Amino acid sequence: MMKLTIAIAKGRLQDESLTLLGRAGLSVSEEMLSTRRLSVEENSGRYRLIFVKPADVPVYVEHGIADCGVVGRDVLMESQADILQCLTLAIGYCRMVVASPSESDLREYGTLRVATKYPRISARHFGSRGMPVEIIQLSGSVEVAPHLGLADCIVDLVETGRTLRENGLRVVEEIAESTARLVVNRASYQLKTEAITQLIRRVERVTEEDRIDDRDYSKSR
Amino acid sequence: MTEPLSKIPDGMRYCFGREASLRRNVEAIVMSVFDGWSYEEVTTPTVDYYSLFEHGMGSSQAHRAFRFTDTDGRLLVLRPDVTSGVARASVTMFADRNRPLRLCYAAQVFRQQPQSHVEWRREFTQAGCELIGANSSASDIEALLIACEILQRLELSGNFLITLNDEGVFDGIAAQLNLDPRSRDEMRQLVDSRNPTDLEGFLSNRLSSPNEGRDLTLLTQLAGKLDALEQARRILTNRRSIEALERLEKLWAVIESLGLTDSFEIDFGDVARLDYYTGLTFNVYVNGAAVRVGSGGRYDGLTAAFGTAEPAVGFVLDLDALTSVLLSRNTDLINPESFKIARSVVNPETVLLFEEARRRRAKGDRVLIDS
Repeated sequence: MMKLTIAIAKGRLQDESLTLLGRAGLSVSEEMLSTRRLSVEENSGRYRLIFVKPADVPVYVEHGIADCGVVGRDVLMESQADILQCLTLAIGYCRMVVASPSESDLREYGTLRVATKYPRISARHFGSRGMPVEIIQLSGSVEVAPHLGLADCIVDLVETGRTLRENGLRVVEEIAESTARLVVNRASYQLKTEAITQLIRRVERVTEEDRIDDRDYSKSR
Repeated sequence: MTEPLSKIPDGMRYCFGREASLRRNVEAIVMSVFDGWSYEEVTTPTVDYYSLFEHGMGSSQAHRAFRFTDTDGRLLVLRPDVTSGVARASVTMFADRNRPLRLCYAAQVFRQQPQSHVEWRREFTQAGCELIGANSSASDIEALLIACEILQRLELSGNFLITLNDEGVFDGIAAQLNLDPRSRDEMRQLVDSRNPTDLEGFLSNRLSSPNEGRDLTLLTQLAGKLDALEQARRILTNRRSIEALERLEKLWAVIESLGLTDSFEIDFGDVARLDYYTGLTFNVYVNGAAVRVGSGGRYDGLTAAFGTAEPAVGFVLDLDALTSVLLSRNTDLINPESFKIARSVVNPETVLLFEEARRRRAKGDRVLIDS
């Protein structure tokens, strides 16, 4: 069977992704992980894992350098990469929201200034509401922008909402929910079908288990 | 700020050396296969009216053309495809010819606004063929066999896959759900990205029973040989989709009899990106290319925009992508002529020098003037 290269998003999702893949039968030795190597062999020798920045996962997969990848839906929405989103995973849950310090209606601004790391998602969201916006693209610490007067609101990813609260922001609107996705290159999907299908099935089984656990847990509460 | 003169516009490139030679050869092989199936070469205008492509490819694709205005103010474009021009010619210049028409081409097309990160180019070399005025399943098979033969002649046997689908499958579902054009596009995108989660969400708002939605999302993953058809039969209930399955089944029987099942696969998730197909659709994948290298199908509505509706089937191959795959495979398709060792011709007397060079050229030698 053909060897597969899997791109893993570094950071927030990395540990959860590795645990999930581990449960699906793909294990990487601690020794390998403790090095700073960005490309490691999985123990069975059938997979190679590469660790790249989240926004680069769709790039590697789209070019076919990685056959598949694990990355958040938020990144996919922003990149608009032409890749297959074969499986929704139960990890990396967060929300893409509009947050603002003010109580006033955002629709009442002549031009709304939006600070964000997600210019495309923001433009699409406000565009569909017919709201004129000036999008100010930042690469981090977006939450501080309204307070300093750079923007009227932000579009950002929220996990717990704590950072928002601590910077005097409240969620005005939710744009989308996001969890991680297993993405696949179009040509790999057709030409390495057997290996890809097997990986999807294995990960799907683990993901199903988690869903059932979640349901039981919420029932018992 | 002024740009340096050395800068090349985005998405444009040079091609030289082995690659240039290979590309010319690839094109020659493709055209010789078309010729072998009695397809006549046409070249279409490089510059044409925007409205031609708006009707031929739909406005979402025509918008990608480089646009400028004619002296009378009409909107002109650099051709973003060849098919539209061929379709127009078939109902104007070739209106009185016997049917079916068999036409082929190899030409550059120009498109802006890349639709993926991989597609950075704005100039593409396309080769394709159109079989116009024939509605039989034999004409569908003819198109598939030509594509297959081209890939074999390019020494890609065992390294390519052609996926088959029928637009009727998707169309039947969309009609069953009463989708407006926008929702149709949305659903097409969800199937095309094989996104079962979002597709299920999309369907759950539009179907009364959640089971039906879950069954339909299975279609995005349904691919294979004859077994895929059998599974699809259990899922699809509307008439149009079932007719499409019957067409695919007949087609598959022929492919099987011709012993070509290794090169083909039925894949219900591989939908056409454009809305103009009306029957068979197919995509071509090759080991070493991260994207589709070709696509085609039946578009019986194509010529209707130009006055006469005629059935048509055809496909287009991306010669740049094929060339780059072959370049990395160390193929011997590169023209040996240009790599023959040149014989230096030396003579201090200019007239004698060129006389000698001419003599050698007449014998077929490759000469290099040493002056």
